[in-house]
Amino acid sequence: MASQTVEATRTRDPHPRSTARGPHEDSPAVKWVMRVLVVAYLFFLVAWPTSLVAKNTFANGFQGISDALSDPDVVHALKLSAIVAVAAVLINLVFGVGMALLLVRFDFPGKRVLNALIDVPLSVSPVVVGLALVLVYNGRYGWFGPWLEDQGLQVVFAKPGMIMATAFVALPLVIREVVPVLEDMGDDQEQAARSLGANAWQTFWRITLPGIKWAIVYGVVLCLARSLGEFGAVKVVAGNVGGESTTAPMLVQQKYQNFQQETAYSVSFMLAFAAVLCLIVVALLRPKEGDKK
Amino acid sequence: MSIEVRNVTKRFGDFVALEDVSVSLPTGQLTALLGPSGGGKSTLLRIIAGLDTADEGTVTIEGTEATNLPARKRNVGFVFQHYAVFKHMTVAKNVAFGLEIRKKPKDEVAARVDELLRLVHLQQFSHRLPSQLSGGQRQRMALARALAVEPKVLLLDEPFGALDAKVRKELREWLRRLHDEVHVTTVFVTHDQEEAMEVSDEIVVINEGRVEQIGSPDDLYDKPANDFVMGFLGEVTRVNGEAVRPHDVDISTAPVLAGAAQGTISRVLRVGFEVRVTVLTDGGEEVTVQLTKAHANALGLHEDQTVWVSPNPGAVPAMSRAV
Repeated sequence: MASQTVEATRTRDPHPRSTARGPHEDSPAVKWVMRVLVVAYLFFLVAWPTSLVAKNTFANGFQGISDALSDPDVVHALKLSAIVAVAAVLINLVFGVGMALLLVRFDFPGKRVLNALIDVPLSVSPVVVGLALVLVYNGRYGWFGPWLEDQGLQVVFAKPGMIMATAFVALPLVIREVVPVLEDMGDDQEQAARSLGANAWQTFWRITLPGIKWAIVYGVVLCLARSLGEFGAVKVVAGNVGGESTTAPMLVQQKYQNFQQETAYSVSFMLAFAAVLCLIVVALLRPKEGDKK
Repeated sequence: MSIEVRNVTKRFGDFVALEDVSVSLPTGQLTALLGPSGGGKSTLLRIIAGLDTADEGTVTIEGTEATNLPARKRNVGFVFQHYAVFKHMTVAKNVAFGLEIRKKPKDEVAARVDELLRLVHLQQFSHRLPSQLSGGQRQRMALARALAVEPKVLLLDEPFGALDAKVRKELREWLRRLHDEVHVTTVFVTHDQEEAMEVSDEIVVINEGRVEQIGSPDDLYDKPANDFVMGFLGEVTRVNGEAVRPHDVDISTAPVLAGAAQGTISRVLRVGFEVRVTVLTDGGEEVTVQLTKAHANALGLHEDQTVWVSPNPGAVPAMSRAV
């Protein structure tokens, strides 16, 4: 969302970057060295490895993909991944927007602590997240687990736990996209709406939400991409219940270790493709907004 | 009285923004809250609007006790310094906002929006987005938006503060004419004394959280209650210990006036049609005299000349020898 903020500033500033332009920026040699460095960095770290996955996937044309899709384990894993990711995204959407509003628009004791806590999921290893959830919700010795299980809800080694783990890991993504946009927007428009007679819900729905909608879309896409690919936390929580609780990334690892490389590559490719597709959709949607502004 | 503010106090932490302020604002008039930045005038306006709450005291709007009423139920129009336009809505949608919230029938909304856009001369821009308007146009749109809900009072918080000097001047003349057409009780905050004097029926001077004086522009200018008001409303210079306006000082090249102070011209500065002369009197005062270019030429004033200065007997120096 940083790019949107920059765009907004530029349209307001009649002389963008006039002061920021360093003297060396005009030197063609430096420019070329920088370009080569950036391109090489991206190529060796991102483009080449990813393209090799694609190459291996399509070594025999679409055979690999269609073989993979005819494997019930693969279909089940993909479905499970999709369900878990979508549920986690919905949870993070509601709580993310709520938390962002709370952090930007309200003052309360402990705000700074909350603000710091939100970044914990990014800094803690996902495996630790998984273990922590198992400790709390485990059906035999967890804090809540036995009680929840008595109510007929199994969390750990089942879908609810996997959704929780995924939501936990992707928690900051929506918040961190929305917060700067909310700050940049200010509360002038909301105050104007209130003085014109709008209640809290009308103000949110008609004024705040349209203002942050692109931040939300971007946050959701990042969240979805992250959730689809989550491995560590989900693996710990899913446990060893056979194929029933295997998500797509876990399946990739299993297949790869069982020397079914072709299936592993195909599923990997589908995961990567889904993520790229998300980003492309956002990139296509965004310029329209830019024209309108 | 349209707006009654009684004993309002507001603190932000240790900072006292308003201290026991009481003001009555008459119906149908255009009142300016005038004072230096940080003096509490915007806070008072926001408390009237319900956008801030007072720590102590009460606010009554058109006879309705409004102290604990939320902003959306006070039926006041509020115009912000930085316009607070709804960026994602067209001009027409912006103006229609308050009416749509009130669930008015569509054709009624359309008719009212059209009427208001005509009033603020923006009818040809109704389908534009606010970002395609100039600052002055945006503020006129914000004004139309505030007027759409037929507010009991219209509150403007430094409405022209973000505009350049020329547009500001145009808009304040326009605001005065608009007020004469619409007659809604209007309160606007400004730190520009010229703006306040030119536009308003009544001025409330606020400084350091207290009301210094309330009165018509003429009252305030001619009979300031204290040094602060006198100094804030215009330039002040001292002749023989008396505080007077620089344009109320008589200057002559011969000792014709009794009690005139003798002195030497240290500086002659011409700004457009006016000439400002600085005279160092033998009594050790630095007197500023303001006169027209024609008058200065007739006297043939130049630096290092010996002159005599005295307060114009016709000008009433209300603040004689205060502090």
